[in-house]
Amino acid sequence: MANFLKNLSRNKALLFMVLPGTIWFFFFSYLPLAGTIVAFKEYRFSRDGFWASIFRSEWVGWDNFKFLFSTDDAFTITRNTLLYNLAFILLGLVFSVLLAIILSELVNRKLSKIYQTGMFLPYFLSWVIVGYFVFSFLSMDRGLLNQILGWFGVGPIQWYSEAAYWPYILIIVNLWKSIGYSSVVYLAAILGIDKSLYEAAMIDGANKWQQIRRITIPMLTPIITIMTLLAVGKIFYADFGLFYQVPRDSGTLYAVTNVIDTYVYRGLMTTGEIGMSAAAGLYQSVVGFVLVILSNYVVRRMDKDSALF
Amino acid sequence: MQKGKKRFSLAITALTALSVALSGCGGGGSAASGGEGTSEKPVELIWYTIGTPQKDVDTVMAEVSKYTTEKIGATVTMKMIDWGDYQQKMQVMVASGEPMDIIFTSSGGFDYVQNARKGAFMELDSLIEEYGQDLKNTIDPAFLEGSKVDGHNYAIPANKELPQQEVWRFNQNLIDEYKMDTSGVRTLDSLEPLLKTIKENAPDVTPFAMDKNYIPYVPYDYVIQNLPMAVKLDTTDYKVVNILETPEMKEALTTMRKYYQAGYIAPEAATTGSTSDLGTSGKWLLDRAQTQPFADNVWSTSNGYPITSTPASDAIITNNSVQGSMMAISANSEYPEKAMQFLNLLNTDATLRNMVDSGIEGTHYKKTADNRMENLPESKNYDMPSYSLGNNMLLNLNPNDPDNKWDEFKTFNESGVDSPILSFNFDPKNVSSELAAVQNVKEQFWSSLMTGTVDPETYLPQAIEKFNQAGLEKVMAEAQTQLDAWKAENGK
Repeated sequence: MANFLKNLSRNKALLFMVLPGTIWFFFFSYLPLAGTIVAFKEYRFSRDGFWASIFRSEWVGWDNFKFLFSTDDAFTITRNTLLYNLAFILLGLVFSVLLAIILSELVNRKLSKIYQTGMFLPYFLSWVIVGYFVFSFLSMDRGLLNQILGWFGVGPIQWYSEAAYWPYILIIVNLWKSIGYSSVVYLAAILGIDKSLYEAAMIDGANKWQQIRRITIPMLTPIITIMTLLAVGKIFYADFGLFYQVPRDSGTLYAVTNVIDTYVYRGLMTTGEIGMSAAAGLYQSVVGFVLVILSNYVVRRMDKDSALF
Repeated sequence: MQKGKKRFSLAITALTALSVALSGCGGGGSAASGGEGTSEKPVELIWYTIGTPQKDVDTVMAEVSKYTTEKIGATVTMKMIDWGDYQQKMQVMVASGEPMDIIFTSSGGFDYVQNARKGAFMELDSLIEEYGQDLKNTIDPAFLEGSKVDGHNYAIPANKELPQQEVWRFNQNLIDEYKMDTSGVRTLDSLEPLLKTIKENAPDVTPFAMDKNYIPYVPYDYVIQNLPMAVKLDTTDYKVVNILETPEMKEALTTMRKYYQAGYIAPEAATTGSTSDLGTSGKWLLDRAQTQPFADNVWSTSNGYPITSTPASDAIITNNSVQGSMMAISANSEYPEKAMQFLNLLNTDATLRNMVDSGIEGTHYKKTADNRMENLPESKNYDMPSYSLGNNMLLNLNPNDPDNKWDEFKTFNESGVDSPILSFNFDPKNVSSELAAVQNVKEQFWSSLMTGTVDPETYLPQAIEKFNQAGLEKVMAEAQTQLDAWKAENGK
């Protein structure tokens, strides 16, 4: 106990700094945990408020989870969610590290800042707006892409009814929107690498490529691992805006655009069952949790220092 | 030490990366308590309603409160929630037990039947008996009858147009320009010569305007809006059928496909959310809409060019039309009796009803005759959706309304024919997981089939198969069981 207090007073500055984040996590992540109980209830309103409603609602066991697995859509949405997120993680990693290295190698600092801002900008756009950008390219009668195809004598393509193109379109759009942000994280890490390492390498006659391979990448590995682990934890969560707004909710594309989040949204619009939404959320969280633990375990086995915990 | 430092900086970077998203949460005040509800000590009623929040809402409600304090011993606080947010925000606020007394509900905004069953609203039968006699005598009895859920009233419907009737709307400028005749138009097929003329002569005009919610009209009433279960309007056996398997729908879809391929329909119709840009530009020939008396005037005024219409269906009274605009009393209301008294007054007292609708006389509007008014410039700060706030037939007439406006509404209401399943409300409790799956199939096939974007020859059988896989047959069987029980109970 005395030890604990001593520890507390010695680290008070650091503890004080984590306080806002702790409070945030407590209120928005730990406190709502009790609400997962709704996933096993048939939620009915009670006049005495939220907690009374929860306690007076009937237990229904696993019934609320059934709709997720009741059709062969269950396979489609799970596959889509996992594969898209895998592609986003891998390609996002490769491209943002690549961009970060290129930006850090630019001699002209001013130009580098301009590029950085330009790449960062899409990150702040809402998916609704991005959806309209994409539409201006892909609209069948007025779209830019169909006009360009027309110059080469190719007939107009009904982009919003042709499922085959959409895996590529979605991946490109997502990368365009997100790599600006993640490359800044890597860029910050690169700028933090001790310059004397590069100086020493240059004296030994290492060229740029060797410097990148032997210094930059190894120094980036821990942050790459952390960013990837965090992304793996969300692999079961699809970006709703991307999969709902960008394909304009076109029914013929569902085979390649329906993911867990859009499935849940569409399924519950008519019935508005809070219990079922809670069940879907719980399912996603549990799978995400298991995946983080698993991948962290794998990382630990390979390189103890890079592991998250 | 070096390693510890590295770890710490990593943790900070990770934290920064994590905590990008923040969400807000609003708290609410609590209702006054201990009041007796007299004109000396009024109680406060909190009223949630739909519509874009207006700047002067508090000023007007202060005025309204003066009036209601005197009449029933209650003050009114109105909280408006914008159209797009209403459903979701109310869902959360009701679930969390936010204090409220009166809630707007309808078949579309904060779903009436569903939330009545979940216990969001107070059952009103005895309250109407006790405090709502005037109201019962004022509004069309079909409204109260048609809005019963499992035999009980949970909300007070607004007195307005009762049946729903589909019409074809025409852009009259184009009709005149190409000397077309709309008098023989009624069925989907009868549109073809008009569409053809426009396609050939005015290639930049969209002949048949529609958005992704378009469904060809067929003489059926849907058990749940926008799901393929329906009962034929002239049914005698009350059989629930899959609308996609009916000969009427098959024929309509074939026609839609023909129109789509002929270029009468915009290529992106199946993903178009709104056709308001066509309305603004006037580059459309016809579309389908729901009508009410003098609707042509309203449409022409709002578009700025003449619009005419001809019927596309009979006038049918359905659950959907009856439950179009209602006020419910919240299950957690502290003063349900006062709330009922207020709703009674709102639907029978012209002074109160017009104050709530148009604001303060002399500030927001001026009276030009006994039951006529004109908006003043200030009305831009208090522009309310009239249909949503209570009895429409008490409202003052606007300058360009005809004298017999409300009489015409009454005639229109009398002309309506009851749907066979009027006041039958399906309870999805036993099939809710199937319904969620069915809903997904519907979203997948519906718009592209209905707008003719895909060929019904290949896609219709696919859709039907997918629906059955998702459990539509089970849902339909459940609906049939409930409908048979309802039929026996009501002696149909």
